[in-house]
Amino acid sequence: MEQSVPELMARLDSLEASLSMATTINSEVFYWWCTALMLAIHAGFLAYEMGASRAKNALASGMKNLIAFAFLIPAFYYIGWWIYLAFPTGFTISDGSEAGLPWSEYMGPNLTDNASGIFYAAFTLFAATTASIMSGSVIERIRISGFTILALFLGAVVWVFGASWGWHPDGWLTTEWGLHDVGAAGAVHTIAGFFTLGVLINLGPRIGRFNADGTVNNIDGHNMPMSLIGLMLIVMGFFGFLGGCIIYTGDTWMTIYNTPATLSAFAFNTLMGVAGGMIGAYLVTRDPFWMMSGALIGVISSAPALDLYYPGLAFLISFGGGCVMPKLNDILVEKFKIDDAVGAVAVHGFGGVWGLVMAGIFASGYQNVAGPEISFVGQLSSAVVFMILGFAPGYVLSLVLKVVGLLRVSENAELAGLDKAEVPVSAYPESSVPAAFTNDPTSPTPAE
Amino acid sequence: MNTAPITSWEGAEAYFTFADKPALLVALTLVGIGVCVWTIASMAIHENKAYKDM
Repeated sequence: MEQSVPELMARLDSLEASLSMATTINSEVFYWWCTALMLAIHAGFLAYEMGASRAKNALASGMKNLIAFAFLIPAFYYIGWWIYLAFPTGFTISDGSEAGLPWSEYMGPNLTDNASGIFYAAFTLFAATTASIMSGSVIERIRISGFTILALFLGAVVWVFGASWGWHPDGWLTTEWGLHDVGAAGAVHTIAGFFTLGVLINLGPRIGRFNADGTVNNIDGHNMPMSLIGLMLIVMGFFGFLGGCIIYTGDTWMTIYNTPATLSAFAFNTLMGVAGGMIGAYLVTRDPFWMMSGALIGVISSAPALDLYYPGLAFLISFGGGCVMPKLNDILVEKFKIDDAVGAVAVHGFGGVWGLVMAGIFASGYQNVAGPEISFVGQLSSAVVFMILGFAPGYVLSLVLKVVGLLRVSENAELAGLDKAEVPVSAYPESSVPAAFTNDPTSPTPAE
Repeated sequence: MNTAPITSWEGAEAYFTFADKPALLVALTLVGIGVCVWTIASMAIHENKAYKDM
Protein backbone atom coordinates (compact mmCIF):
# COMPACT_ATOMS: atom_id res chain seq x y z
CA MET A 1 0.00 0.00 0.00
CA GLU A 2 2.87 2.35 0.89
CA GLN A 3 4.38 1.81 -2.53
CA SER A 4 1.12 2.60 -4.27
CA VAL A 5 0.64 6.03 -2.67
CA PRO A 6 3.36 7.74 -4.72
CA GLU A 7 2.02 6.04 -7.80
CA LEU A 8 -1.49 7.29 -7.04
CA MET A 9 -0.17 10.79 -6.40
CA ALA A 10 1.72 10.75 -9.69
CA ARG A 11 -1.39 9.57 -11.47
CA LEU A 12 -3.46 12.29 -9.80
CA ASP A 13 -0.93 14.91 -10.87
CA SER A 14 -1.08 13.57 -14.38
CA LEU A 15 -4.89 13.69 -14.41
CA GLU A 16 -4.88 17.24 -13.06
CA ALA A 17 -2.40 18.30 -15.74
CA SER A 18 -4.55 16.65 -18.41
CA LEU A 19 -7.67 18.35 -17.09
CA SER A 20 -5.92 21.72 -17.02
CA MET A 21 -4.68 21.23 -20.58
CA ALA A 22 -8.17 20.14 -21.72
CA THR A 23 -9.59 23.34 -20.20
CA THR A 24 -6.97 25.44 -21.97
CA ILE A 25 -7.60 23.73 -25.29
CA ASN A 26 -11.38 24.03 -24.89
CA SER A 27 -10.95 27.73 -24.32
CA GLU A 28 -8.78 28.11 -27.41
CA VAL A 29 -11.21 26.09 -29.50
CA PHE A 30 -14.20 28.10 -28.28
CA TYR A 31 -12.70 31.47 -29.25
CA TRP A 32 -11.27 30.06 -32.48
CA TRP A 33 -14.80 29.20 -33.64
CA CYS A 34 -16.27 32.44 -32.31
CA THR A 35 -13.71 34.24 -34.47
CA ALA A 36 -14.58 32.09 -37.47
CA LEU A 37 -18.28 32.77 -36.97
CA MET A 38 -17.60 36.49 -36.77
CA LEU A 39 -16.32 36.35 -40.33
CA ALA A 40 -19.97 35.94 -41.29
CA ILE A 41 -20.47 39.53 -40.11
CA HIS A 42 -18.07 40.67 -42.81
CA ALA A 43 -19.60 38.48 -45.48
CA GLY A 44 -22.87 40.07 -44.43
CA PHE A 45 -21.61 43.65 -44.55
CA LEU A 46 -20.11 42.93 -47.95
CA ALA A 47 -23.38 41.61 -49.37
CA TYR A 48 -25.69 44.16 -47.84
CA GLU A 49 -23.62 47.19 -48.76
CA MET A 50 -23.13 46.03 -52.33
CA GLY A 51 -26.86 45.38 -52.56
CA ALA A 52 -27.63 48.80 -51.07
CA SER A 53 -25.47 50.50 -53.72
CA ARG A 54 -26.60 51.28 -57.22
CA ALA A 55 -25.13 48.88 -59.80
CA LYS A 56 -22.67 51.53 -60.92
CA ASN A 57 -21.10 51.55 -57.43
CA ALA A 58 -21.50 47.92 -56.38
CA LEU A 59 -17.87 46.82 -56.60
CA ALA A 60 -16.44 50.04 -55.17
CA SER A 61 -18.68 49.56 -52.13
CA GLY A 62 -17.54 45.97 -51.78
CA MET A 63 -13.89 46.90 -52.29
CA LYS A 64 -14.21 49.33 -49.41
CA ASN A 65 -15.32 46.52 -47.09
CA LEU A 66 -12.55 44.19 -48.19
CA ILE A 67 -9.88 46.84 -47.78
CA ALA A 68 -11.07 47.84 -44.32
CA PHE A 69 -11.04 44.20 -43.22
CA ALA A 70 -7.57 43.54 -44.62
CA PHE A 71 -5.99 46.66 -43.13
CA LEU A 72 -7.64 46.30 -39.73
CA ILE A 73 -5.95 42.98 -39.01
CA PRO A 74 -2.35 44.26 -39.02
CA ALA A 75 -3.41 47.62 -37.54
CA PHE A 76 -4.96 45.92 -34.54
CA TYR A 77 -1.83 43.78 -34.19
CA TYR A 78 0.49 46.79 -34.39
CA ILE A 79 -1.37 49.08 -32.01
CA GLY A 80 -4.94 48.11 -31.14
CA TRP A 81 -4.29 45.24 -28.76
CA TRP A 82 -1.73 47.29 -26.85
CA ILE A 83 -4.19 50.19 -26.47
CA TYR A 84 -6.78 47.82 -25.03
CA LEU A 85 -4.35 46.54 -22.43
CA ALA A 86 -2.78 49.92 -21.70
CA PHE A 87 -5.63 52.34 -20.99
CA PRO A 88 -8.35 50.90 -18.71
CA THR A 89 -7.78 53.72 -16.23
CA GLY A 90 -8.07 56.55 -18.76
CA PHE A 91 -5.01 57.95 -20.51
CA THR A 92 -2.35 56.53 -18.17
CA ILE A 93 -0.45 53.50 -19.43
CA SER A 94 -1.08 50.47 -17.20
CA ASP A 95 1.63 48.11 -15.97
CA GLY A 96 1.85 44.91 -17.95
CA SER A 97 0.47 46.41 -21.15
CA GLU A 98 3.85 45.89 -22.85
CA ALA A 99 2.67 42.29 -23.36
CA GLY A 100 0.50 43.70 -26.15
CA LEU A 101 3.29 45.45 -28.04
CA PRO A 102 3.96 43.83 -31.41
CA TRP A 103 7.51 42.88 -30.44
CA SER A 104 6.44 41.25 -27.17
CA GLU A 105 7.20 37.57 -26.61
CA TYR A 106 3.44 37.03 -26.21
CA MET A 107 2.53 38.38 -29.65
CA GLY A 108 3.55 35.24 -31.50
CA PRO A 109 3.82 31.48 -31.04
CA ASN A 110 4.63 30.82 -27.39
CA LEU A 111 4.28 27.46 -25.67
CA THR A 112 3.46 29.07 -22.33
CA ASP A 113 0.70 31.34 -23.65
CA ASN A 114 -2.48 29.86 -25.06
CA ALA A 115 -4.52 33.02 -24.60
CA SER A 116 -2.95 36.06 -26.27
CA GLY A 117 -3.32 34.92 -29.88
CA ILE A 118 -6.86 33.74 -29.59
CA PHE A 119 -8.02 36.88 -27.74
CA TYR A 120 -6.12 39.08 -30.21
CA ALA A 121 -8.00 37.30 -33.00
CA ALA A 122 -11.42 37.75 -31.41
CA PHE A 123 -10.75 41.42 -30.63
CA THR A 124 -9.47 41.98 -34.17
CA LEU A 125 -12.80 40.78 -35.50
CA PHE A 126 -14.59 43.09 -33.04
CA ALA A 127 -12.41 45.91 -34.39
CA ALA A 128 -13.18 45.07 -38.00
CA THR A 129 -16.88 44.97 -37.15
CA THR A 130 -16.64 48.43 -35.61
CA ALA A 131 -15.05 49.83 -38.75
CA SER A 132 -17.58 48.09 -40.98
CA ILE A 133 -20.45 49.77 -39.15
CA MET A 134 -19.33 53.06 -40.67
CA SER A 135 -18.80 51.54 -44.08
CA GLY A 136 -22.41 51.26 -45.26
CA SER A 137 -23.40 54.80 -44.33
CA VAL A 138 -20.83 56.44 -46.59
CA ILE A 139 -21.24 54.39 -49.75
CA GLU A 140 -21.32 55.87 -53.25
CA ARG A 141 -19.33 59.04 -52.59
CA ILE A 142 -16.44 58.47 -50.18
CA ARG A 143 -12.89 58.01 -51.44
CA ILE A 144 -11.53 54.56 -50.62
CA SER A 145 -8.27 56.06 -49.37
CA GLY A 146 -10.08 58.46 -47.05
CA PHE A 147 -12.37 55.68 -45.87
CA THR A 148 -9.42 53.40 -45.15
CA ILE A 149 -7.77 56.05 -42.98
CA LEU A 150 -11.03 56.63 -41.10
CA ALA A 151 -11.66 52.89 -40.69
CA LEU A 152 -8.15 52.34 -39.33
CA PHE A 153 -8.50 55.16 -36.85
CA LEU A 154 -11.93 53.97 -35.71
CA GLY A 155 -11.13 50.26 -35.61
CA ALA A 156 -7.58 50.26 -34.28
CA VAL A 157 -7.63 53.31 -32.00
CA VAL A 158 -10.92 55.01 -31.13
CA TRP A 159 -13.19 52.11 -30.20
CA VAL A 160 -10.29 50.39 -28.45
CA PHE A 161 -10.13 53.25 -25.95
CA GLY A 162 -13.87 52.78 -25.37
CA ALA A 163 -13.39 49.05 -24.90
CA SER A 164 -10.50 49.58 -22.52
CA TRP A 165 -12.55 52.06 -20.51
CA GLY A 166 -15.85 50.24 -20.44
CA TRP A 167 -15.49 46.69 -21.72
CA HIS A 168 -12.63 45.52 -19.52
CA PRO A 169 -12.67 44.18 -15.96
CA ASP A 170 -10.61 47.16 -14.78
CA GLY A 171 -12.12 49.80 -17.09
CA TRP A 172 -12.77 53.05 -15.27
CA LEU A 173 -16.35 53.35 -16.49
CA THR A 174 -17.08 50.14 -14.59
CA THR A 175 -14.89 50.66 -11.55
CA GLU A 176 -16.02 54.29 -11.10
CA TRP A 177 -19.58 54.38 -12.49
CA GLY A 178 -20.67 50.74 -12.48
CA LEU A 179 -21.12 50.45 -16.25
CA HIS A 180 -22.50 47.09 -17.37
CA ASP A 181 -22.26 46.46 -21.12
CA VAL A 182 -21.50 42.78 -21.59
CA GLY A 183 -22.36 42.73 -25.30
CA ALA A 184 -20.43 45.93 -26.15
CA ALA A 185 -23.43 48.01 -27.21
CA GLY A 186 -21.57 51.12 -26.11
CA ALA A 187 -17.95 50.24 -26.81
CA VAL A 188 -18.64 48.97 -30.31
CA HIS A 189 -22.00 50.22 -31.55
CA THR A 190 -22.42 53.64 -29.94
CA ILE A 191 -18.85 54.65 -30.68
CA ALA A 192 -19.03 53.45 -34.29
CA GLY A 193 -22.44 55.05 -34.85
CA PHE A 194 -21.42 58.46 -33.55
CA PHE A 195 -18.05 58.34 -35.30
CA THR A 196 -20.07 57.74 -38.47
CA LEU A 197 -22.29 60.72 -37.73
CA GLY A 198 -19.23 62.95 -37.47
CA VAL A 199 -17.98 61.67 -40.81
CA LEU A 200 -21.35 62.06 -42.54
CA ILE A 201 -21.57 65.73 -41.55
CA ASN A 202 -18.33 66.48 -43.39
CA LEU A 203 -18.90 64.03 -46.24
CA GLY A 204 -22.30 65.40 -47.24
CA PRO A 205 -25.14 63.63 -49.05
CA ARG A 206 -24.97 61.76 -52.34
CA ILE A 207 -25.77 63.85 -55.40
CA GLY A 208 -29.52 63.65 -55.89
CA ARG A 209 -30.43 62.67 -52.33
CA PHE A 210 -32.02 66.02 -51.53
CA ASN A 211 -33.84 68.48 -53.75
CA ALA A 212 -33.28 72.22 -53.63
CA ASP A 213 -36.46 72.64 -51.60
CA GLY A 214 -35.14 70.16 -49.02
CA THR A 215 -37.39 67.27 -49.97
CA VAL A 216 -35.82 63.82 -49.96
CA ASN A 217 -35.35 61.40 -52.86
CA ASN A 218 -34.99 57.69 -52.20
CA ILE A 219 -31.89 56.21 -53.80
CA ASP A 220 -32.62 52.52 -54.01
CA GLY A 221 -29.85 49.97 -54.08
CA HIS A 222 -29.67 47.62 -57.02
CA ASN A 223 -30.19 44.34 -55.15
CA MET A 224 -32.43 44.31 -52.10
CA PRO A 225 -32.47 40.49 -51.83
CA MET A 226 -28.67 40.50 -51.53
CA SER A 227 -28.90 43.15 -48.82
CA LEU A 228 -31.41 41.08 -46.87
CA ILE A 229 -29.25 37.96 -47.03
CA GLY A 230 -26.28 40.08 -45.96
CA LEU A 231 -28.14 41.37 -42.95
CA MET A 232 -29.11 37.82 -41.97
CA LEU A 233 -25.43 36.84 -42.22
CA ILE A 234 -24.56 39.68 -39.86
CA VAL A 235 -27.13 38.39 -37.38
CA MET A 236 -25.59 34.93 -37.65
CA GLY A 237 -22.12 36.36 -37.11
CA PHE A 238 -23.33 38.11 -33.99
CA PHE A 239 -23.63 34.75 -32.30
CA GLY A 240 -19.86 34.51 -32.71
CA PHE A 241 -19.45 38.11 -31.59
CA LEU A 242 -21.53 37.65 -28.45
CA GLY A 243 -19.98 34.27 -27.73
CA GLY A 244 -16.64 36.04 -27.80
CA CYS A 245 -17.96 38.48 -25.18
CA ILE A 246 -18.15 35.81 -22.47
CA ILE A 247 -15.12 34.40 -20.68
CA TYR A 248 -14.63 30.63 -20.58
CA THR A 249 -12.85 29.51 -17.42
CA GLY A 250 -13.19 25.75 -17.69
CA ASP A 251 -15.63 25.19 -14.87
CA THR A 252 -17.86 28.20 -15.41
CA TRP A 253 -18.54 31.24 -17.62
CA MET A 254 -17.95 34.84 -16.65
CA THR A 255 -18.81 38.17 -18.19
CA ILE A 256 -15.98 40.44 -19.18
CA TYR A 257 -16.53 42.13 -15.80
CA ASN A 258 -15.84 38.82 -13.96
CA THR A 259 -19.45 38.40 -12.85
CA PRO A 260 -20.80 34.85 -13.19
CA ALA A 261 -22.95 34.07 -16.22
CA THR A 262 -24.03 31.27 -18.50
CA LEU A 263 -23.94 30.92 -22.24
CA SER A 264 -27.58 29.90 -21.93
CA ALA A 265 -28.40 33.39 -20.68
CA PHE A 266 -26.83 34.85 -23.81
CA ALA A 267 -28.73 32.37 -25.98
CA PHE A 268 -32.11 33.23 -24.42
CA ASN A 269 -31.71 36.96 -24.71
CA THR A 270 -29.90 37.20 -28.03
CA LEU A 271 -32.67 35.30 -29.78
CA MET A 272 -35.45 37.15 -28.01
CA GLY A 273 -33.70 40.41 -28.82
CA VAL A 274 -33.40 39.55 -32.51
CA ALA A 275 -37.09 38.73 -32.67
CA GLY A 276 -38.18 41.82 -30.75
CA GLY A 277 -36.19 44.14 -32.98
CA MET A 278 -37.48 42.55 -36.17
CA ILE A 279 -41.11 42.73 -35.09
CA GLY A 280 -40.80 46.31 -33.86
CA ALA A 281 -39.16 47.49 -37.09
CA TYR A 282 -41.76 45.67 -39.17
CA LEU A 283 -44.55 47.30 -37.21
CA VAL A 284 -43.38 50.83 -37.95
CA THR A 285 -41.93 50.44 -41.47
CA ARG A 286 -43.32 47.32 -43.29
CA ASP A 287 -39.91 47.40 -44.96
CA PRO A 288 -37.85 44.17 -45.14
CA PHE A 289 -34.57 46.12 -45.11
CA TRP A 290 -35.57 47.79 -41.86
CA MET A 291 -36.97 44.55 -40.53
CA MET A 292 -33.54 42.95 -40.86
CA SER A 293 -31.85 46.09 -39.55
CA GLY A 294 -34.35 45.70 -36.71
CA ALA A 295 -32.75 42.34 -35.93
CA LEU A 296 -29.46 44.17 -35.36
CA ILE A 297 -31.24 46.85 -33.33
CA GLY A 298 -32.75 44.06 -31.24
CA VAL A 299 -29.38 42.49 -30.48
CA ILE A 300 -27.86 45.87 -29.64
CA SER A 301 -30.81 46.90 -27.48
CA SER A 302 -30.45 43.88 -25.23
CA ALA A 303 -26.67 43.54 -25.48
CA PRO A 304 -25.63 45.46 -22.32
CA ALA A 305 -27.45 43.06 -19.98
CA LEU A 306 -27.73 39.84 -21.96
CA ASP A 307 -26.55 38.04 -18.85
CA LEU A 308 -29.23 39.49 -16.60
CA TYR A 309 -32.51 40.04 -18.42
CA TYR A 310 -35.60 37.91 -18.19
CA PRO A 311 -36.00 36.90 -21.86
CA GLY A 312 -39.50 38.34 -22.03
CA LEU A 313 -38.09 41.68 -20.93
CA ALA A 314 -35.29 41.49 -23.51
CA PHE A 315 -37.93 40.90 -26.17
CA LEU A 316 -39.84 44.03 -25.16
CA ILE A 317 -36.75 46.23 -24.83
CA SER A 318 -35.65 45.15 -28.29
CA PHE A 319 -39.15 45.59 -29.66
CA GLY A 320 -39.03 49.16 -28.38
CA GLY A 321 -35.66 49.69 -30.03
CA GLY A 322 -37.00 48.27 -33.27
CA CYS A 323 -39.90 50.74 -33.18
CA VAL A 324 -37.87 53.81 -32.26
CA MET A 325 -34.66 53.58 -34.34
CA PRO A 326 -36.27 53.72 -37.83
CA LYS A 327 -38.07 56.89 -36.72
CA LEU A 328 -34.84 58.43 -35.47
CA ASN A 329 -33.30 57.64 -38.84
CA ASP A 330 -36.19 59.47 -40.54
CA ILE A 331 -35.49 62.51 -38.37
CA LEU A 332 -31.79 62.42 -39.26
CA VAL A 333 -32.59 62.27 -42.95
CA GLU A 334 -35.58 64.58 -43.22
CA LYS A 335 -34.81 67.20 -40.58
CA PHE A 336 -31.02 67.21 -40.41
CA LYS A 337 -30.34 66.18 -44.05
CA ILE A 338 -27.89 63.47 -42.99
CA ASP A 339 -27.61 61.00 -45.87
CA ASP A 340 -26.95 57.78 -44.00
CA ALA A 341 -27.32 55.24 -46.81
CA VAL A 342 -28.08 52.29 -44.52
CA GLY A 343 -29.26 53.92 -41.30
CA ALA A 344 -26.18 52.90 -39.29
CA VAL A 345 -26.20 55.99 -37.08
CA ALA A 346 -29.68 55.13 -35.84
CA VAL A 347 -29.20 51.35 -35.73
CA HIS A 348 -25.82 51.32 -34.02
CA GLY A 349 -25.33 54.78 -32.54
CA PHE A 350 -28.75 55.43 -31.05
CA GLY A 351 -29.43 51.71 -30.70
CA GLY A 352 -26.38 51.41 -28.46
CA VAL A 353 -27.50 54.33 -26.34
CA TRP A 354 -30.96 52.83 -26.06
CA GLY A 355 -29.48 49.53 -24.88
CA LEU A 356 -27.25 51.18 -22.28
CA VAL A 357 -30.07 53.30 -20.89
CA MET A 358 -32.50 50.38 -20.78
CA ALA A 359 -29.95 48.42 -18.76
CA GLY A 360 -29.77 51.40 -16.41
CA ILE A 361 -33.52 51.21 -15.91
CA PHE A 362 -34.16 47.47 -15.86
CA ALA A 363 -30.88 46.03 -14.55
CA SER A 364 -30.07 48.61 -11.91
CA GLY A 365 -29.12 47.26 -8.51
CA TYR A 366 -27.10 44.31 -9.73
CA GLN A 367 -23.67 44.14 -8.10
CA ASN A 368 -20.43 44.51 -10.02
CA VAL A 369 -17.28 42.70 -8.90
CA ALA A 370 -15.30 45.94 -9.17
CA GLY A 371 -17.04 49.26 -8.70
CA PRO A 372 -20.54 50.36 -7.75
CA GLU A 373 -23.73 48.54 -8.68
CA ILE A 374 -25.45 49.07 -12.02
CA SER A 375 -27.42 52.33 -12.03
CA PHE A 376 -29.33 54.54 -14.43
CA VAL A 377 -26.94 57.44 -13.90
CA GLY A 378 -23.88 55.24 -14.45
CA GLN A 379 -25.29 53.80 -17.66
CA LEU A 380 -26.43 57.17 -19.00
CA SER A 381 -23.15 58.89 -18.15
CA SER A 382 -21.20 56.09 -19.81
CA ALA A 383 -23.38 56.40 -22.90
CA VAL A 384 -22.49 60.09 -23.10
CA VAL A 385 -18.78 59.23 -22.86
CA PHE A 386 -19.14 56.73 -25.71
CA MET A 387 -21.06 59.25 -27.84
CA ILE A 388 -18.38 61.91 -27.42
CA LEU A 389 -15.55 59.41 -27.83
CA GLY A 390 -17.06 58.37 -31.15
CA PHE A 391 -18.29 61.66 -32.54
CA ALA A 392 -15.37 64.00 -31.82
CA PRO A 393 -12.59 61.99 -33.54
CA GLY A 394 -14.86 61.10 -36.44
CA TYR A 395 -15.77 64.72 -37.04
CA VAL A 396 -12.25 66.10 -36.65
CA LEU A 397 -10.45 63.48 -38.74
CA SER A 398 -13.00 63.62 -41.55
CA LEU A 399 -12.75 67.40 -41.53
CA VAL A 400 -8.98 67.15 -41.95
CA LEU A 401 -9.43 64.67 -44.81
CA LYS A 402 -11.96 66.99 -46.40
CA VAL A 403 -9.57 69.93 -46.22
CA VAL A 404 -6.79 67.96 -47.90
CA GLY A 405 -9.15 66.56 -50.55
CA LEU A 406 -9.09 62.92 -49.46
CA LEU A 407 -12.67 62.56 -48.27
CA ARG A 408 -15.01 62.73 -51.24
CA VAL A 409 -14.81 61.51 -54.84
CA SER A 410 -15.02 63.95 -57.73
CA GLU A 411 -18.46 64.90 -59.02
CA ASN A 412 -17.74 63.33 -62.41
CA ALA A 413 -16.79 60.05 -60.83
CA GLU A 414 -19.85 60.07 -58.58
CA LEU A 415 -22.18 60.65 -61.53
CA ALA A 416 -20.53 58.10 -63.78
CA GLY A 417 -20.20 55.54 -61.02
CA LEU A 418 -17.27 54.62 -58.83
CA ASP A 419 -16.82 51.21 -60.43
CA LYS A 420 -16.13 52.81 -63.78
CA ALA A 421 -13.77 55.32 -62.23
CA GLU A 422 -11.78 53.15 -59.84
CA VAL A 423 -12.32 49.42 -60.33
CA PRO A 424 -10.64 47.52 -63.15
CA VAL A 425 -13.40 44.89 -63.45
CA SER A 426 -17.18 44.96 -63.92
CA ALA A 427 -19.82 43.78 -61.48
CA TYR A 428 -22.23 42.51 -64.08
CA PRO A 429 -22.27 41.81 -67.81
CA GLU A 430 -23.90 44.73 -69.61
CA SER A 431 -26.77 42.54 -70.74
CA SER A 432 -27.84 41.84 -67.17
CA VAL A 433 -27.94 45.44 -65.98
CA PRO A 434 -31.35 47.08 -66.15
CA ALA A 435 -31.39 50.35 -68.06
CA ALA A 436 -32.14 52.33 -64.94
CA PHE A 437 -28.84 51.20 -63.44
CA THR A 438 -26.47 51.69 -66.32
CA ASN A 439 -23.41 53.85 -66.00
CA ASP A 440 -24.95 56.23 -68.46
CA PRO A 441 -25.11 59.62 -66.75
CA THR A 442 -28.05 60.56 -68.97
CA SER A 443 -30.25 58.28 -66.85
CA PRO A 444 -29.57 59.74 -63.44
CA THR A 445 -31.47 59.32 -60.22
CA PRO A 446 -33.86 62.16 -59.30
CA ALA A 447 -32.30 65.60 -58.93
CA GLU A 448 -28.93 64.53 -60.31
CA MET B 1 19.83 31.89 -42.08
CA ASN B 2 19.13 30.49 -38.62
CA THR B 3 16.01 32.27 -37.41
CA ALA B 4 15.25 29.95 -34.48
CA PRO B 5 15.47 31.47 -31.00
CA ILE B 6 15.65 28.04 -29.39
CA THR B 7 18.16 25.22 -29.52
CA SER B 8 15.87 22.64 -27.90
CA TRP B 9 12.12 22.19 -27.40
CA GLU B 10 12.80 21.39 -23.75
CA GLY B 11 11.49 24.34 -21.71
CA ALA B 12 10.81 26.39 -24.82
CA GLU B 13 8.58 29.46 -24.42
CA ALA B 14 8.40 32.07 -27.22
CA TYR B 15 9.71 30.13 -30.20
CA PHE B 16 8.67 32.22 -33.19
CA THR B 17 11.20 33.40 -35.71
CA PHE B 18 13.52 36.11 -34.33
CA ALA B 19 11.86 35.96 -30.86
CA ASP B 20 15.31 36.50 -29.32
CA LYS B 21 16.02 39.61 -31.44
CA PRO B 22 13.62 42.35 -30.28
CA ALA B 23 15.33 45.04 -32.36
CA LEU B 24 14.62 43.01 -35.47
CA LEU B 25 10.99 42.57 -34.40
CA VAL B 26 10.70 46.35 -34.05
CA ALA B 27 12.20 46.74 -37.51
CA LEU B 28 9.75 44.23 -38.99
CA THR B 29 6.89 46.11 -37.32
CA LEU B 30 8.04 49.39 -38.83
CA VAL B 31 8.36 47.81 -42.27
CA GLY B 32 4.85 46.36 -41.93
CA ILE B 33 3.44 49.75 -40.99
CA GLY B 34 5.36 51.25 -43.89
CA VAL B 35 3.79 48.78 -46.32
CA CYS B 36 0.32 49.75 -45.12
CA VAL B 37 1.02 53.49 -45.36
CA TRP B 38 2.59 53.08 -48.80
CA THR B 39 -0.44 51.13 -50.05
CA ILE B 40 -2.85 53.78 -48.80
CA ALA B 41 -0.77 56.48 -50.49
CA SER B 42 -0.83 54.46 -53.70
CA MET B 43 -4.60 54.15 -53.32
CA ALA B 44 -4.95 57.92 -53.16
CA ILE B 45 -2.71 58.39 -56.20
CA HIS B 46 -4.77 55.83 -58.14
CA GLU B 47 -7.97 57.68 -57.23
CA ASN B 48 -6.58 61.07 -58.23
CA LYS B 49 -5.54 59.71 -61.60
CA ALA B 50 -8.88 57.94 -62.09
CA TYR B 51 -10.85 61.10 -61.37
CA LYS B 52 -8.65 63.13 -63.72
CA ASP B 53 -9.28 60.60 -66.49
CA MET B 54 -13.07 60.78 -66.13
